[in-house]
Amino acid sequence: MVGISSIGVHVPRSRLDRALIGRAWGSRPGAGEKAVAHHDEDALTMAVEAAARCLEGTHPLRVDALFFASTSAPYREKQVASVVATACDLPREISTADFGGSVRCGIAALVAAVRAVESGACRRVLVAVSDCRPAEPEGELEPLLGDGAVAFLVDREARLAEVLGTAAVAEEFTFQWRLDDGRSVQVQDARFSVGHGWVRDLAEVVGRVMNEHGVGTDQLDALAVGAPDARAASQLATELGLDAKRQLVAPVIDRIGVLGSPDPLLLTAIALERALPGAPIVLAAFGEGAEAVLLRACAGAGAGAVRPAVAAALDRRLPLPSYERYLKYRRRLGSDDTPVELISNVLEFRELQQDVRFYGSRCQKCGLVQYPQARVCLGCLARESLDPVKLSKTGTIFTCTVDHLAANLEHPMGMVVVDLDGGGRVYVQMTEATPEEIVIGASVVLTFRRLHAGGENYNYFWKARPR
Amino acid sequence: MKSIRDQVAVIGVGCTKFGDLYDKTYEDQVCEAAFAAYDDAGIDPEVIDAAYVGTYIPHAQGGKAGISLADPLRLYGRPVTRVENFCATGTDAFRNACLAVASGQHEVVLVVGAEKLKDRPGRGIPRVGHQLLAKGNSAPGLFALAANRYMHTFGVGRETLARVAVKNHWNGARNPLAHMQVEVTVEKVLAAPMIASPFGLFDCCPTTDGGAAAIVCRAERAHEFRKDPVLVKGAALAVATGRPYFDPTFDYLGFRSTQAAARAAFAQAGVTPGDIDLAEVHDCFTWTEISNIEDIGFCAKGEGWKWVEEGRTRIGGQLPINPSGGLKSFGHPIGASGVRMIYECVRQLRGQCGERQVQGAELVLAHNVGGPGAVSCVVILGLPA
Repeated sequence: MVGISSIGVHVPRSRLDRALIGRAWGSRPGAGEKAVAHHDEDALTMAVEAAARCLEGTHPLRVDALFFASTSAPYREKQVASVVATACDLPREISTADFGGSVRCGIAALVAAVRAVESGACRRVLVAVSDCRPAEPEGELEPLLGDGAVAFLVDREARLAEVLGTAAVAEEFTFQWRLDDGRSVQVQDARFSVGHGWVRDLAEVVGRVMNEHGVGTDQLDALAVGAPDARAASQLATELGLDAKRQLVAPVIDRIGVLGSPDPLLLTAIALERALPGAPIVLAAFGEGAEAVLLRACAGAGAGAVRPAVAAALDRRLPLPSYERYLKYRRRLGSDDTPVELISNVLEFRELQQDVRFYGSRCQKCGLVQYPQARVCLGCLARESLDPVKLSKTGTIFTCTVDHLAANLEHPMGMVVVDLDGGGRVYVQMTEATPEEIVIGASVVLTFRRLHAGGENYNYFWKARPR
Repeated sequence: MKSIRDQVAVIGVGCTKFGDLYDKTYEDQVCEAAFAAYDDAGIDPEVIDAAYVGTYIPHAQGGKAGISLADPLRLYGRPVTRVENFCATGTDAFRNACLAVASGQHEVVLVVGAEKLKDRPGRGIPRVGHQLLAKGNSAPGLFALAANRYMHTFGVGRETLARVAVKNHWNGARNPLAHMQVEVTVEKVLAAPMIASPFGLFDCCPTTDGGAAAIVCRAERAHEFRKDPVLVKGAALAVATGRPYFDPTFDYLGFRSTQAAARAAFAQAGVTPGDIDLAEVHDCFTWTEISNIEDIGFCAKGEGWKWVEEGRTRIGGQLPINPSGGLKSFGHPIGASGVRMIYECVRQLRGQCGERQVQGAELVLAHNVGGPGAVSCVVILGLPA
């Protein structure tokens, strides 16, 4: 039995009220808000957040593959899965791959993971699906596209759900696309493309996988479909003869927007949080064809199935003060470019364990945990007595400042000295925090973020955010 | 170990006007400070047989290597060494000059500190460092980490910090060479824009151009040059970690480098903090001055802010601190600051400070700290017995 044993979710804390979009453009973009990746977040960093939550309680050595799926990876060429794996301190020997192309890539990665475990090639595969899709300012997708990430751990334990089967169809149909040098996702006229492409292909694969496994229309517990908007999802449910109200996992577009590739996984997470063991669930996504996966909820389903609970992820929110701030976060205004000489690939190579895996040193003689890694102990001055030690990602602010002078995309910037739980003290930037949250004694979590861009490259490092 | 006490004399000092010296080159600043010191000592530069130049940030037209001093002054054919040690650059250049004389290697040694900060755009000073671990730090932000911990621990508010600015601006307003010759009020300090909490604009020293110079010689030869030489009683440097924010054993309430340098300097001088008549200490930020007077040992840790509140550090108070106006008002051209402090201390000992004169000053102390807390230099000067 192969299935899903753990789920991690990351929804960025920032929210853009659609009314601010309406005010900017004199338009009526609809109600609610959308989740917006912070200025230092992208599909890579959000994948790390979701993956880290997903891996809680799983020893890194037990994971032997990581698949990253996104249509909006920060690099056109450079593998993201390996960066996510390194930031999660997974072993070097694991197999990694990036999936992309369309918002169907999340399901594609999940199916590939299931096949890898079924075949015996892998024991445990982490699937991290993340999107931060660029919408054209004033375009019709701008109010809709939100950001976020979901990670599934696929193995033979299938604690939360087992995979019963899959169905796919491949069909060229231009629905949403972005050219190789395009800055924004383009979209067809929905009146035509939803009915004639999107609903047609999804109804086919969802219907087929249910038929093949004898799941009747009334028996389906939940349909978790990544939809371009709420109306399309209802149209699909109707086409399939489902009761949309009861059986369709309601999209959370009004709260966080359309995430893209993570959507079917996020809606599955919601479905699993309330499913009873045995309940059949289908997740599906469209993209030049469609693919559907039929799950059956297992004993681990129900409250507590997802880290954090999806409701908590949706409730953790910090509204953006303005539409202009959103444009800055998405680099439509401003820049975080750093002089080229500060980007050293050689330094990155040498300090990978310290800077990305986030290891410090522990003294064999006096036990002091210290960061960065050193040759002579800061506590007892013992020489060459320091062993690498993985540092905790949680801690308490020992001291701090809110700096208006330091260069950053966003001003002012919190800088914090954090005493980590389990030892070690680090000095890092504070992100997505209000000034009231940057105070001595506050609890923080370390999060992997894009530190700066420069020289046609990005630098990632750890920052603190409120716990 | 042999003390440096009374072996070296200061026979000449000079200082440029500090400020936004847009019409001066780095070399102009070196020349004006050195020429003033030559005149003050009444010497022909030919007698100078070694020199030290202190500059923190090399500038396109000077500041790197010994030629930064040798070229503008045409002091060729003798040893010239550039010193850089963060904000203690100037005092450390002076200390090295004293050691060169005390060792017997050189008879008359010139020290120049010069810094050209205002030729570059932007605010503050350029930050360099590890591309990840140092990303986001600024000079005020780094000192603010200590200030906030101190204020949290001892229950001190921004008003107390503001009183340091008010005092130093009052002093600086009476100093014709100071960068900011303007008095401020507590209200004005508190209302200024925030730079890095808890420091507002008036809690921060300005970014300044300037140069300062001093000439030292063997104490027994001082009377060949002038009647009222000043003696070096102690000159000590100490280094602590430059990464205090990664040190889990650090309480962040003061600076170990200052504590160590002060202990060493007092031991050399054979005096105690209570013997000092005035001090020029490194008030890069208002809080730093409070911590300094504790770290140097003038008062106990956690008592410095009370000294400020009680007015003990004003001119006329128990221990005048920064009668020159300090970095806060005189300005902080980094490499020049320490030598500028020597300039002020020598002139106080000679009774040349006019309205700012601290009456009866016989033993004075100059202190720099940089890093923050990474390096500190303490110099004690006194009148001959």
